[in-house]
Amino acid sequence: MAKSARQAQIEKAALYPLDWTEERTGLVGYTKWFLFRNVPRDVNWMQTLGAATLTAFIVQATTGVFLAMYYKPDPDSAYASIQNITNEVTLGWLVRGMHKWGASLFIILMFLHMARTFMFGAYKYPRELNWITGVILLVMGMAEGFTGYLLPWDQTAYWATVVGININATAPIAGPFIAQFLQGGAQIGPDTLSKFYSLHMLVIPGGIMALIGLHMYLVIRLGVTSPPWSPTAAGRPRDEGEEPQGYGAYREGLIREHEEDKAS
Amino acid sequence: MSDGTDNHDQAPGSSLWPIGFAIGIACILVGLVISWPAAVLGAAVTIVFGVLWIRDAARSHAPVDSAPAHALVDGTPSEAQLAAEEQHLETYGRAGFLTLATIGLGGVIGAGVVLPSLGFAVLPSFTGEGIETNPVDLGPISNFPEGTFVITSFTGSKRQGDVSRRTAYIRNNGLSAEKEPSFTIIYSRCVHLGCPIQPNGPAFKDQAKTYKDVTLTPVKPAGFGCPCHGGAYDTEGNRTAGPPVRSLDRYAFSVADGNLILGDHFSVGTVAGTAADAVMTRYPVAYPGVHVDGIERFLYPLPVPGAGA
Amino acid sequence: MASKKVQEDRDAFKRYKEDVKKEGKPFFPYAIFHDTVMSFVVVAVIIGLAVIWKFTVDDGQPGALGPLYEKEADPGTTNFIPRPDWFFYFLFYLLRIFKWPESVVLGTVGIPTLLLILLIMLPFYDRRPERLLLRRPVAFVAAILVVISMGVLTWKGATAKEGSEAVGEVPTWAKEQGFADNAVAVEVATLFAESGCLNCHVYLGAGGQNLGAPELTEEGLKNRGIEWQVAHLKNPSSKVPGSPMPSFADLGDENLTKIATFLEASKGPQK
Ligand code: HEM
Ligand code: FES
Repeated sequence: MAKSARQAQIEKAALYPLDWTEERTGLVGYTKWFLFRNVPRDVNWMQTLGAATLTAFIVQATTGVFLAMYYKPDPDSAYASIQNITNEVTLGWLVRGMHKWGASLFIILMFLHMARTFMFGAYKYPRELNWITGVILLVMGMAEGFTGYLLPWDQTAYWATVVGININATAPIAGPFIAQFLQGGAQIGPDTLSKFYSLHMLVIPGGIMALIGLHMYLVIRLGVTSPPWSPTAAGRPRDEGEEPQGYGAYREGLIREHEEDKAS
Repeated sequence: MSDGTDNHDQAPGSSLWPIGFAIGIACILVGLVISWPAAVLGAAVTIVFGVLWIRDAARSHAPVDSAPAHALVDGTPSEAQLAAEEQHLETYGRAGFLTLATIGLGGVIGAGVVLPSLGFAVLPSFTGEGIETNPVDLGPISNFPEGTFVITSFTGSKRQGDVSRRTAYIRNNGLSAEKEPSFTIIYSRCVHLGCPIQPNGPAFKDQAKTYKDVTLTPVKPAGFGCPCHGGAYDTEGNRTAGPPVRSLDRYAFSVADGNLILGDHFSVGTVAGTAADAVMTRYPVAYPGVHVDGIERFLYPLPVPGAGA
Repeated sequence: MASKKVQEDRDAFKRYKEDVKKEGKPFFPYAIFHDTVMSFVVVAVIIGLAVIWKFTVDDGQPGALGPLYEKEADPGTTNFIPRPDWFFYFLFYLLRIFKWPESVVLGTVGIPTLLLILLIMLPFYDRRPERLLLRRPVAFVAAILVVISMGVLTWKGATAKEGSEAVGEVPTWAKEQGFADNAVAVEVATLFAESGCLNCHVYLGAGGQNLGAPELTEEGLKNRGIEWQVAHLKNPSSKVPGSPMPSFADLGDENLTKIATFLEASKGPQK
């Protein structure tokens, strides 16, 4: 159906900002490429766990930023500010609750996602670095859990941190130095809380974001694996000469493989 | 191959600028120790000679006559080109100098930003800043009945406030053989991983007293237990069960005007004897889980600066 | 020259790239739709948990997901029982397993570091191209073992009851042993609970198992008599030669008699 001149004009006007941006940045093209690039046809629901982990992290980052507007990282006022957020500030309970429970979910999802990539053998050539950045992300995620646990400055928070710091102290040779660095002096003192806060909201998340960037770059560059049990897994070994030829051939191949399966 | 303008005759080496530069650096270092003006002077000398040196060096390294335009065969450079490239590097041309200078300057910039920040982040933990030297007054000795433990909670540092609340289990042992007052003062943190130990026995909350911000509750413990991983201690703080690696930490004490004054905090390997006759070696405070005696102490050979008294 | 394995890996990946190009589906909207559904579930669960957490709290009583916050931190406390966040329960329980002073460092840093190294190096020692789990027997068994042991450690950590938590158990005992109406019995049970016997012994499921101490739930069935019990508490090895149990003489005769009475009355749950 031919467009009316008016429609074409509107369309052009609407697309103008995109063209304008593309001409100057090239980003529109990249985004299009990113969105419309192919992934294996048979990707599985379990392969959404990485995206789910990313979502959980974004929830943490967002709620965390806003909690920082009301939280006071000082032993004399931290506890009261947490009470204030939970009981007084409008919707404070929700944002704090989301941050608190999101943290657990984030960790669970990281483990599930790791279990998925393990199950799929997705850490093998050429995705070794996906796995390694992943493990570092896991460790940093747990470090977020450890540093964040102190912030409410309640009994659980304080004593879990005492034990955590002292666990570090038992490492041979360097242990006591690590512990003393973490607590910022000979004892858990006034500066320990703000140090943990800075680690929790700036240092470690910065590292996590950078590594997520790298992790995602690798995922996009290398592509995700097909489920290993899939008869049409991308990259499956084939007999000499058999080459996939577009979607039609793919369908035929599917049917043939299916029949072979039945026959054998 | 490369018969360009650059050859070894013109290589730097005759220049005296590096010497001035080095003198400047030396001035900075000496100045840091002796006086600030000297350091500033050194910095100025360094910069001047540095600039001169760079200018000189840059001038004496005119661009190398590069190898003929790369005619790539099959996308791989030919033998001849590889040899040329090698030579190109060897002749250390202007490009090579600029590469090194960029890396060097980048390094200096990086160091200038990172080192102070890193030092700021790390060093204060090890200077002993914030360690309180004012002794804590626990009140009249009469608040400590002979032979019983008193759960004594106090504020370790007025300046730090509630973060420095600490608890000690204090037993008045009466007079020692030398007719000196004797107290057993056991710190309330488990020497496995630092959990708050609990007295194993009934506390007499109805006999609790306070002195300023010190709270005193008599208790009759058969020993101490840790609520975390099952550490257990006897009344001298020796381990009786579980993972603790040494005996409980203690405090020294003194008596002034009839008041008990808390002294230095120290760590203990094991305690021999009991009460006033207890004998032990005092070690500098060690982290929980760190062995102070026995063969395992070699796992922790380095003393931690600023770890407190 | 690339080895045969490297060449095979490269060929397989090249095949993968070609297959994806020819047979694959566009990420948008086919795959991203699933990702978005999953992300929606995640956010919904997070909000749901926050809501349940907040709205099941009843008048300061902790709700279905625990309290909104604990008491304020007290660095001088003498009655708090520290516990880590749930995802460190496995480590917490690991620390309880290594209950010999010489082995502490194994539980705190040794084993965790080893596991971490094994985890991060995985792609370098598992280099076979096979990806189907059923055809990777070692990986399969290892995965099952890891999941089971992490699960067990986490569960044990979550349910671990230390001796010093016993005071909180007294009402339960009173109900199970049927002495809830007897004020003296409750007081004596409290004395027993706070005297540290349960650092080593177990009573009705509470207490740490240390030094191979026997369970005390049915101690009364042994009919040893109050006198024997008091003497044993004062000097355990006088009654049980070589006993590693420490002396409880410091509690004083009066308290010891009470505890002995309690032990003699402990004849297992009265159902
Ligand atoms: C902050 C935490 C993490 C985020 C946001 C994240 C995100 C993602 C995403 C979105 C994918 C795409 C495929 C999928 O969704 O399954 C992916 C793939 C992958 N991730 Fe992660 N991940 C995280 C942590 C981890 C961890 C802890 C590991 C393992 C130790 C890991 C290893 C991998 C591997 C090997 C792949 C490639 C999967 C394949 O090709 O099939 N990641 N990640
Ligand atoms: S901290 Fe006391 S036993 Fe572990």
